[in-house]
Amino acid sequence: MMVSANRFRSIGWIALLLVCAALVMVLAFRVNALRSQVHRTEQQIISLRKEKLYLETEVETRANQQQLKLWNDVEFGYVAPSASQYISNERQLAAFAKPDGPGAPTPIRVASADNAVAAEVAFPAIVSRLTGDSDISAPAERESDNTASAAAAPADRAAATEALGARLAMVVPVKQAAAGKRQDKDKPALAKSGSTKGKKSGSARADKKTQLASATKAATPSNPAKSTKPAKPSKTAP
Amino acid sequence: MNALTASAAIASGRVQLANVRQIALITARMRAQWVMLVFVFLALTACVRIGQLGLFEQTPERASMAEALLPSRGEITDRQGLALARAFASYSLWFNPKALGEAGSPLVKTPEEVAQALVGIFPEADYADLLARLKAGRACYLHRRVLPEEANRVFALGEPALEFPREEQRFYPQGSLAAHVLGYVDEAGKGHVGMEQVLEGRLLDPVHRGTPTALSLDARAQGALEDELGRGMMETNAKGAAGLILDADSGEVVALASLPSFNPNRSDLAYNDLVFNRVSNQVYELGSTFKPITVASAIDAGVLTDLSTRYPSVPFNIAGYTIHDSHNFGTTLNVPEALIHSSNVVTAHVADALGPTALRQTMTALGMHERPTIELPARGFPLWPRGGGQNGSGDWQRLTNMTVSYGHGIAVTPLHLASAYAAMVNGGLWRPATLYKIDPAHLPPGRRVFKASTSARMRQLLRMIVADGTGRKANAAGFRVGGKTGSAEKPGLRGYRKTSLIATFAAAFPMDKPRYVVIVMLDEPQATQASSGQRTAAWNAAPIVGRLVPRIGPMLGVVPDAHHDVDITDLSPLVGSGEGE
Repeated sequence: MMVSANRFRSIGWIALLLVCAALVMVLAFRVNALRSQVHRTEQQIISLRKEKLYLETEVETRANQQQLKLWNDVEFGYVAPSASQYISNERQLAAFAKPDGPGAPTPIRVASADNAVAAEVAFPAIVSRLTGDSDISAPAERESDNTASAAAAPADRAAATEALGARLAMVVPVKQAAAGKRQDKDKPALAKSGSTKGKKSGSARADKKTQLASATKAATPSNPAKSTKPAKPSKTAP
Repeated sequence: MNALTASAAIASGRVQLANVRQIALITARMRAQWVMLVFVFLALTACVRIGQLGLFEQTPERASMAEALLPSRGEITDRQGLALARAFASYSLWFNPKALGEAGSPLVKTPEEVAQALVGIFPEADYADLLARLKAGRACYLHRRVLPEEANRVFALGEPALEFPREEQRFYPQGSLAAHVLGYVDEAGKGHVGMEQVLEGRLLDPVHRGTPTALSLDARAQGALEDELGRGMMETNAKGAAGLILDADSGEVVALASLPSFNPNRSDLAYNDLVFNRVSNQVYELGSTFKPITVASAIDAGVLTDLSTRYPSVPFNIAGYTIHDSHNFGTTLNVPEALIHSSNVVTAHVADALGPTALRQTMTALGMHERPTIELPARGFPLWPRGGGQNGSGDWQRLTNMTVSYGHGIAVTPLHLASAYAAMVNGGLWRPATLYKIDPAHLPPGRRVFKASTSARMRQLLRMIVADGTGRKANAAGFRVGGKTGSAEKPGLRGYRKTSLIATFAAAFPMDKPRYVVIVMLDEPQATQASSGQRTAAWNAAPIVGRLVPRIGPMLGVVPDAHHDVDITDLSPLVGSGEGE
């Protein structure tokens, strides 16, 4: 059957119209999809803002004037600044930076101990979890700045930490702590330090046994270090 | 015929058969068509619905984001924007006995155990009451405004019948801070006492409730004021205390406290005497704090031109009454000395010279004859002395004039006094006190009560009282405090009671350019060790100001400066030294 050109053209128009309609429909669908997405986002914003308001209110309640006053009375003891703590003008500020005049008394010097070692023990170096290496720590960098003690410090650090460790019973030496991290507090740590010193002890097997025993001990829930590990998510009310 | 009948009969039989088939066919077709129609209808409906959803469906709460975030009641903030009152969905503890099903006990444990555990979590709860509610087996509230951590602890009891619905309630994050200014909202959602009542319409109006209403209060200053007042009250075993910090120029109330206070978060407990506001509602004879007003009025009227003029300071009789001082200050005193020692006699002489008309006019101009001008609903009416004439509107009698001059025979609220002091030190303009934050560019015009020169002189005199006189304990270093003590005996059944005092200290700082007026008042302070065994304002109210000003000064933008002060060198030579009331 032959289709006349006219008829073909009208079919073409209709097809075009249908295609356009389909495209419009697709577009409209997408627009509406986007719109509902916006709506969903708005809902999210609303709930987040409500949450924020809730948290804000909680913080404000916990830090209300009366509570702050109580904390200040018990903990901080801050007082309002007095007149002498204010500077009235730039001239007064500049007076603080005035160099000493000729014949001025030398400023009083206060004797101070070299606290680099003590500080290091008190703030143990950070130990890498992967390698167990403690040399990645910040205090090492600080030491390198101090040119006078840079060479001496690493050498007698172990001795110093041991001496200090004995005095400050609470401080656990860094390397031992790193070595005996997964072991029981006293014995295995000692055993480990013995092996690091390179002494050929006759009881290498016994060492291994103690390690194994300590490892199994660590696995049991009776070990307090283990039992405190998982941070339980606190229950919330519905 | 017969044949025809027979053939018809036969034919009819065939026709019937054909009909049956046809009918069956038609029925089947009809059914098929129906089924198809249903399918087409369903398909069309689906298409239409899809089109409708895809093309025209508006999300139902399109324009409601702002609406969803609109609080049920508008927020009230202080001048820095810190929330003082807020609509807040807080937890309630609801007892639902049907949570475990209809039959059986609603609780897992015994009601006694649960009640005991709840008392452990809410110490202020009543055990017997809780037990009765749990045993009654009816759904009810067990506790309102439960904190999240308390809710967690109740949740840990493992009772499904204890539920925590979140309900929008009025919440005051600062607790009892500024309770008398804010007021409270009852369970029906109606505001009472303070700005909650005043702003009721605005706070509930959907157009306005989205934006917080800023009050003139400063929460930090308010906290410091309440703290110091509370301390002063405890130290002197006073019945109550009131305090006010007023912006001297704009009339904004920066802090307003009346102690003992109440907790607006417990609106169920707020129906008591503590909601009574001593600052704006209670009138007192404020005593010697009125003396500077009398002196200012005399200077302003030109009666007192020479401050070195000496007045007799010995007790004298008038109309059957003796006007006397608390101590003997010698035979004569000049006005600066009279203020420093707080002499009733000299003030009475000054008022006598001034005359009742002028003093009454000044008091009227300061608004002492009407309720204080502030937004709060509870405002006390002053006890205004009756004048002469038919309806008492004429001039005061000579004795009345004299007693008013030193603050007796007239009872006003501490707020009246604060506004009057603001006018006295700010250059002479009286402005109404307000609890709304005012844009400094749009200050109310104010009413001139004193000349600027009078105000300057009064700043010197008030500073002298604190530097050398009865107000020494308020002399915070570097803050140039000026002020006047006042210790008025309370009127009893038979005259004034010697041991029941109203101790007031009215101050302003810094005196070289006054920014704030501070009023501190103690109701019946006792002589204690902390007040050195004294009952008078110099020993109990003045030290409160002395401690308060260094705390609030830096926060309110007043920098302490030890090298800067109002110049009192022209008045210093006029003054000896001594003690006074």
